[in-house]
Amino acid sequence: MPAAIALHGVSAGYTAPVLRDIDLEVGNEVVAIVGRSGSGKTTLLRLIAGLIEPTSGTVDLLGVAPAVARRRKRIGFVAQDSRLHPWRTVRENVTLPLEVNRRAQTNGHVSADEWVARMGLSDAIDAYPHQLSGGMRQRVALARSLVIDPEVLLMDEPLASLDELTRDDLRDELLRLWEGRARSVVYVTHDIEEAVFLADRVAVIGGRPARIVGGVEISLARPRTKVMRRGPGFYDLVEEVRKHLE
Amino acid sequence: MTARRTLIELAVALGAIVAIAVVLEVWTRVMSVPSYLLPAPSAVAARMLADAGLLAREGGITLSEAAGGFVIGTGVAFVLATAMAWSRPLEHTLFPLAILVKLTPIIAIAPLFTLWFGFGTAPKVAIAALITFFPMLVNSFVGLRSADLQEVAFLETLGASGREIFRHLRVPSALPYLFSGARISLNLALIGAVIGEWTGADRGLGRVIFVANANLDLTILFGAVLVLAAIGIAANAFVGVAERRLLHWHPIAVAT
Repeated sequence: MPAAIALHGVSAGYTAPVLRDIDLEVGNEVVAIVGRSGSGKTTLLRLIAGLIEPTSGTVDLLGVAPAVARRRKRIGFVAQDSRLHPWRTVRENVTLPLEVNRRAQTNGHVSADEWVARMGLSDAIDAYPHQLSGGMRQRVALARSLVIDPEVLLMDEPLASLDELTRDDLRDELLRLWEGRARSVVYVTHDIEEAVFLADRVAVIGGRPARIVGGVEISLARPRTKVMRRGPGFYDLVEEVRKHLE
Repeated sequence: MTARRTLIELAVALGAIVAIAVVLEVWTRVMSVPSYLLPAPSAVAARMLADAGLLAREGGITLSEAAGGFVIGTGVAFVLATAMAWSRPLEHTLFPLAILVKLTPIIAIAPLFTLWFGFGTAPKVAIAALITFFPMLVNSFVGLRSADLQEVAFLETLGASGREIFRHLRVPSALPYLFSGARISLNLALIGAVIGEWTGADRGLGRVIFVANANLDLTILFGAVLVLAAIGIAANAFVGVAERRLLHWHPIAVAT
């Protein structure tokens, strides 16, 4: 079975080249992409989602081009600091993905209301985004990306704009999510500890234009718990990732 | 809380109007100002009561001309703004043309419109449409382009079509801009209709003002101006109500 996400010799950029010779394969696992700010992490994610075209190399999603995977509604996308659709309630925001591109079959068995409940937002289901905190908005963003039950989940620093306590809670939420159902997750972050805590594998990008400068297998057992972050081995892994960054 | 504030604001506005009327009344009486220079407010009020039927009829005509021009002008503006937001080449082609329309002095071409379209309703509607066109075009265009790029990207990853993104994201994002365009355009439409009537008409408030001017009949002139102002205030209030209903999610609507 081919990898869910496969990038081979991919270069990309806007006016200047941003990414060069990226090789990356992601199976049913969580891969964290770590790099400095402005290193091209977001570009890499947009590339995988097919929002931009590579200047050379190939990108395959579930064995097809990203544009095809998009049309089949197989991609979940969570951005940093989602503003959602401010004129829609929480429930209406979560049902939005079901209202567009109706031709595509989605394999979601979990209803929008159920996703809202799982995110702990049942009390706010009729609220508008401006009535929610940043953490609640990100939970809605998560729920609306999962309502189509995508095989591929792309996340662009989804917790970066939140306070530390909210971030801790949402990290646990994420772990429960992908420990419950196998998906291919690409998780972009600049937070090394977060990457180690969440991922099965960390890929470090750096340089200009950016290449993958190192990969670290995260051997921590699942399910992961907060205790592990203080346990032996955790900081060795963090150090290993940090070395690649420098 | 807000209801009370609205009442206070209303009371202040009414108080100011009454105060101005009292000052004018006293002044015209004490100084014996002739009524062909400045009529006393009481005389204007009496005339408005006496000619209430005429003012209502002519006001209705002006309002319908303005409304027709508003609908046509803003409608065309929105369609063109959509095309411009859709494609850069169209934007670069249409925008200079729109500025040409904007820079044409309405007062100078109004007689031309009468020549082209006759003395009926058509030239008034055309002038009102022309004058409302530009503010709505700019507001619609900026509004449609104001959609959050992250949200556009999100819809694209779901395979949403351009039309779906337009309907679900771009139009609602543009709503606050459409409303500010509508507020500007509504008043302009009324002015446009009056200008049209001024240059050649047998009906409407503009015509009433024109004839009153020629006869130095200032009580009906002021009466017509006041009716026009009342129509403008009512139209603005109507837009305000619609705005509060449709934009309840918007921070500005929440704040007021």
